[in-house]
Amino acid sequence: MTPLERDLPSHDLADHVSELRVRLRAGSHADLLAEAGRALAEIQLRGTPGGATGDWRRLEISAHDSAGLLADWLNELIFLAETERWVATEFDVEQVDGSSMRVRARGVTLDQAPGLVKAATLHGLRVDDAPGGVTGEVVLDL
Amino acid sequence: MTHATATYPTIAVTPLLREIPVTARSDMRVPVRIYADDELWSQIVKDRSLEQAVNVATLPGVVGCVYAMPDVHEGYGFPVGGVAATRAADGVISPGGVGYDINCGVRLLASGLELEAVRPRLEAVVHELSRSIPSGPGRSPWLDLSVPELDRVLRDGCNYLLERELALPEDIPATEASGALPGADPARVSDKAKRRGHDQLGTIGSGNHFVEVQVVDEVFDPVAAAAYGLATGQLTVLIHTGSRGLGHQVCTDYVRRMDQVMADYGIHLPDRQLACAPLASPEGQAYFGAMCAAANFAWSNRQAITFSVRKAFGRAFGDAGRLHLVYDVAHNIAKLEEHAGQSLCVHRKGATRAFGPAHPETPVRYRAVGQPVFIPGSMGTASYVLAGTDAALALSFGSTCHGAGRVMSRGEAKRSRTGAEVRRELEARGIVVRCPSSGELAEEAPTAYKDVERVVDVVHRAGLARKVARLRPVGVVKG
Repeated sequence: MTPLERDLPSHDLADHVSELRVRLRAGSHADLLAEAGRALAEIQLRGTPGGATGDWRRLEISAHDSAGLLADWLNELIFLAETERWVATEFDVEQVDGSSMRVRARGVTLDQAPGLVKAATLHGLRVDDAPGGVTGEVVLDL
Repeated sequence: MTHATATYPTIAVTPLLREIPVTARSDMRVPVRIYADDELWSQIVKDRSLEQAVNVATLPGVVGCVYAMPDVHEGYGFPVGGVAATRAADGVISPGGVGYDINCGVRLLASGLELEAVRPRLEAVVHELSRSIPSGPGRSPWLDLSVPELDRVLRDGCNYLLERELALPEDIPATEASGALPGADPARVSDKAKRRGHDQLGTIGSGNHFVEVQVVDEVFDPVAAAAYGLATGQLTVLIHTGSRGLGHQVCTDYVRRMDQVMADYGIHLPDRQLACAPLASPEGQAYFGAMCAAANFAWSNRQAITFSVRKAFGRAFGDAGRLHLVYDVAHNIAKLEEHAGQSLCVHRKGATRAFGPAHPETPVRYRAVGQPVFIPGSMGTASYVLAGTDAALALSFGSTCHGAGRVMSRGEAKRSRTGAEVRRELEARGIVVRCPSSGELAEEAPTAYKDVERVVDVVHRAGLARKVARLRPVGVVKG
């Protein structure tokens, strides 16, 4: 992997036999988590997320470690999408440390829940410091 | 995209059974045994399913062998198509060894109708099924359960649906575990899981789930077929779905919880998704209670869909459209069972219980022939009815395969065929198709799966189950 350029978070999606692997890179843990949220929205909305509407809402997540935080964060967004038909597309990560985060998010409300993604798994889950930033990987259950 | 598996030495035990010996990796506690012919073996070694089976063989308290069925493929943590038993007294239970879709399973309904007599009305019936049974992310339009009602489903399973007149009395003994595991504890199911599940009873969901109208195409074992009430030319309905968002949330909750406490029990595993805790521990008992409750929800889901199917058939065909439940089997579950005098927790992930005539849990009405097992093919291909064997107890903890098994990712499947092409091919074969979108049709194209006939042939020849009948699809409502 080439050295990371700070402030340029990115992601790519790779097939995983019956599931989907999301590979992330960003200049910081906060940017990585925001990018993970955008990647999830892209999958749930089947394309580039459109403009968010409505008020910002605050979400707080805590986990066992930084990789667990990535999975828990995505699982919270999956839960909100299924139960409230609300897909977060814009993120302002206000605070993050090794095992907790506080974020403001805005998104879109749909007529029907986007049922495509059912869970973020711990299989192959990782968040690693890398030259210039952070990389991460998570497999989604579809 | 597939990945080559790590290379392990194998021993050919029989032409259909290979073993990775316990010495293959230093952390293995038991060998891994894989049922496959040469063709299926060549597919199995292309992904990481063997490496995952070896990882499962490191679980504390695992006994006998870890088994891989001929439809095994890479999952996350535990391979899909895997069986592992742990000692109930001091072994572990692993949510990843059950999977996210707790009690995903299959139930078969048989009618007294012959296909040729009803063919003119077939398209209308399939349309009515698609209209009355929500698929994809759809919610139930008629069953939104209050918290006390949902707790009754979680605790009492199909017995509660019988009280609500959504089941017939004869459905209960025709369901594995009578549709209600006694260890269920609704209090162990999180509020989040209940929020996901309260309006999902009676819905198919997405992925490879379906309701399929079929015809009995060929009978291989007339005695067993007669015992199951099946005959050539007869119309049947196969339902394949599970515990929906509720089950997924239960798995998510407890994988997370066990991941956090594993180290406290001195457990260190090669894959976090295998997170586990001793069955006897507070965490193990909590998961077991929640998993049993989610399993009861799944049986109730298939029962509620059965109610809708019966209504649709009743409207179309009157009394002649009466459907009897042949059986309902789980293929993602962990159950307490006695094997060779030991009390074990048998994890079956993408594997089906297949008890023979002598087993006390085989329903009384099937004691002469063995428990029915249903192996759905990929969309549009044949499904199979098998009978459990007594020999399977020693060969695989009384387990057999669960389906065709994926060989292609959803993305690869969509790149290789369009949904429109898949639809045209199915319709050209006389199959009526209803699906939320063409893209999802392409994801489930038959080419994305192993050859179900070969998979079934291997389990039949290996003695894990016996072929009874083949079912050919004539109408598909895809999830």
